[in-house]
Amino acid sequence: MKKEVKIKVEGLKKVFEGENKVTALEDVNMEIFGNEFAVILGPSGCGKSTLLYLMAGFEKPTKGNMYLDGKKIRKPGPDRGFVFQDFALYPWRTVLKNVTFPLELKGLPKVDAQKMANKYIEMVGLDGFKNAFPHTLSGGMKQRVGIARALVYEPEVLLMDEPFGALDAQTRKQMQIELEKIWEKNKKTVVFVTHSVIEAVYLADRVFVMTARPGKIKDIVEVNLTRPREYTDENFLKVREKVLSLLESEVEKSMHQKQE
Amino acid sequence: MNMNKELIKNKLFALIQFLIPFIVVIVIWEIIVYFGLIGQLPAPSAIYNKFVYLMFEKNILTNHIYGSLYRLILGYILAIILGIVVGSIISLKKIISDMLTPMLSLFIAIPTIAWVPVLLITLGLGDKTVIAAVFLGGFFAITYSTMHGIRMVDKNLINAAKISGAKKLSMFISIFLPGSLVSLIPGLRLAIGYSWRALVGAEMLAAMVKWGVGKMIYTSRFWNDVEAMFLGLVIIGIGGLLLDQLLMRYIERVTVERWGMVSEG
Amino acid sequence: MDNKKISSIIFGIIPIILFFLFWELFAEYGILNPALFSKPTIIFPKLYNKFPELINHLFATIYRLLVSFFIALGIGIAIGMLMGYKKIIYRSLNPLITTVMTVPGIAMAPIFILWFGFGDPTIITIGIIVAFFPIVYNVAMGVRSVDKQLVQAANIMGGKRKNLFLNVYLPHSVSYIVIGIKLGLARCWRTIVAVEFIAATSYGLGYMIWDAYEYLNFSVVYGGIIIMAILFFTIEKTAIRQLEKRTIERWGLVHEHE
Repeated sequence: MKKEVKIKVEGLKKVFEGENKVTALEDVNMEIFGNEFAVILGPSGCGKSTLLYLMAGFEKPTKGNMYLDGKKIRKPGPDRGFVFQDFALYPWRTVLKNVTFPLELKGLPKVDAQKMANKYIEMVGLDGFKNAFPHTLSGGMKQRVGIARALVYEPEVLLMDEPFGALDAQTRKQMQIELEKIWEKNKKTVVFVTHSVIEAVYLADRVFVMTARPGKIKDIVEVNLTRPREYTDENFLKVREKVLSLLESEVEKSMHQKQE
Repeated sequence: MNMNKELIKNKLFALIQFLIPFIVVIVIWEIIVYFGLIGQLPAPSAIYNKFVYLMFEKNILTNHIYGSLYRLILGYILAIILGIVVGSIISLKKIISDMLTPMLSLFIAIPTIAWVPVLLITLGLGDKTVIAAVFLGGFFAITYSTMHGIRMVDKNLINAAKISGAKKLSMFISIFLPGSLVSLIPGLRLAIGYSWRALVGAEMLAAMVKWGVGKMIYTSRFWNDVEAMFLGLVIIGIGGLLLDQLLMRYIERVTVERWGMVSEG
Repeated sequence: MDNKKISSIIFGIIPIILFFLFWELFAEYGILNPALFSKPTIIFPKLYNKFPELINHLFATIYRLLVSFFIALGIGIAIGMLMGYKKIIYRSLNPLITTVMTVPGIAMAPIFILWFGFGDPTIITIGIIVAFFPIVYNVAMGVRSVDKQLVQAANIMGGKRKNLFLNVYLPHSVSYIVIGIKLGLARCWRTIVAVEFIAATSYGLGYMIWDAYEYLNFSVVYGGIIIMAILFFTIEKTAIRQLEKRTIERWGLVHEHE
């Protein structure tokens, strides 16, 4: 079966000008296939979030190009969905209105927008909280809203920037399992950034391991395990070992780098 | 049902607690004057009598209060509208807001009362000057808090809206404006205090203004009417308190507090 | 860093220069009536010529400001600490404070003129009153907000009353005291200038402006306002900033405040 390339990154370079010049990314090349769950894994400060922000169009590359379905990515648009690490929900809107917002922008009539929003709110399990304001929700619940909001306008790809990073260990595990379940339903193309090896191996079809700053793709690990996966499974642990060994030397390097 | 009763009981209790110090002060005050301990202080009872006299017998107190209120509302609403508009326009381009902020800070440094002579020169000695003073009092604070609020909107909220497909106008109406409320609403609260104080000061200086609480205090001096002066102060104090605690707190509660967007401090 | 700071200062001055430029042009070409609005080219030379007199006026105002402010500071910190420390005092005084705080100083002027006459006694008394309230209010809040855990920690380490006061309550309160000082100072000088409009008879920035107005000396009116803006903007930016730097910022107690 020939795999179509959904996202293509060519010779990507990103330099941040400022008091100190920082080269976040140096010559990143990757291809992400359609319907795959791609995880970008790297040590802190390696530029993985920057990479995702570039794919989203929130920042512009210094050099190089990115393509989504063959079209050059120039700015943010509803062909992509984004889930933020700090949730980024609109505090003055209820859960329902947060999710209907992208549809309102599209010009959808209120009734239809609400119907679609309801569908996704139920999908993430927040049925009873439609009229709650975000500040009353727990971290895990907020992120579910974030996921619903990103999926509601049915983008081509879903970009997730360490979405569970702000959650406690238990909630995090729970969310991984639920995300996996949701993804299995329609297998959207996902680009997921994390620094957790276990999270990567649990969720990914392929893990892109990045080097320390300036970031490059060090290696790609295919995770050919059947889903849903078991954290304690023998094969799971083998893959985990492999990924960990790739990552460790990079973590070492990043610890000796200047903190921003 | 029961929760409402509980709430009312609590509110009543808090109100009583609030009023006790005043009652104590009034009683002590009355006693002090009764025993002639401080010569020129009017007794609370005398002030109250003056209130009854001016309010019901002479019917002029309502004129004073109405005059002040009318100018306050007009000037303040103007300040809100123009303050938000100007603050928003300035914020459209970072370069413009960066350039204009220092100049704005200079203008804010000028006490509103200092503008009154200029207003008297250019707008005359009557109502318009007072309304303009009220306007100026609130305008700078509102412009500044609008600008600050817009600047402080979380970058990721903007990103989230961008990727959902928001264009410039919807971005402004749906994201920047509500997002700025966290700074704007406290700014409105500050501004009404400034406007209220500007009102009183301007009324005292504008010679052709006849009615107004500030005016009442000013003219009372020429009749040596100490009771009326104190009455005026009481009205100003209560008025300021009502505006701040009742009106503004209420607005804060149904917007930024409801959305959990209260800033630190 | 210095380059950036210099360029941003220059950046900020441009609109101000443009402002005066347009003022001059509008007055020159009759868009603004120069009889009412005067012109920068008349105002600035006038100020320059009046310089010695100007200094006297400034001196009077600043004298009143310093006297009333520091008296208010002393009383305000004392009572504020008391209020913060003893709940009952707080409960009884706070409602009174929050109410009287809203009264503009200039409204009190007629009464004090009646009692104390014109001039310094009236002006300084009112200055003390308006500076006092923001200070006492914030100091009380500051002391009240001392983290109970800090107090418990100090107690466990054998803190006596006096030690507790000096080592726990006082430093924590400093950030609130600084806020109170900021607000108190601002209200103080603004009110003093306002009261000078009515109650001063010979010297003072407010007196200078009002007197010029009454004698239709409009250029001095505008000049006075400009001086005021520059002077107090500078005071607030430098003195207060220094204060903040040495206390709350040094100790990492910065509150994001507007």
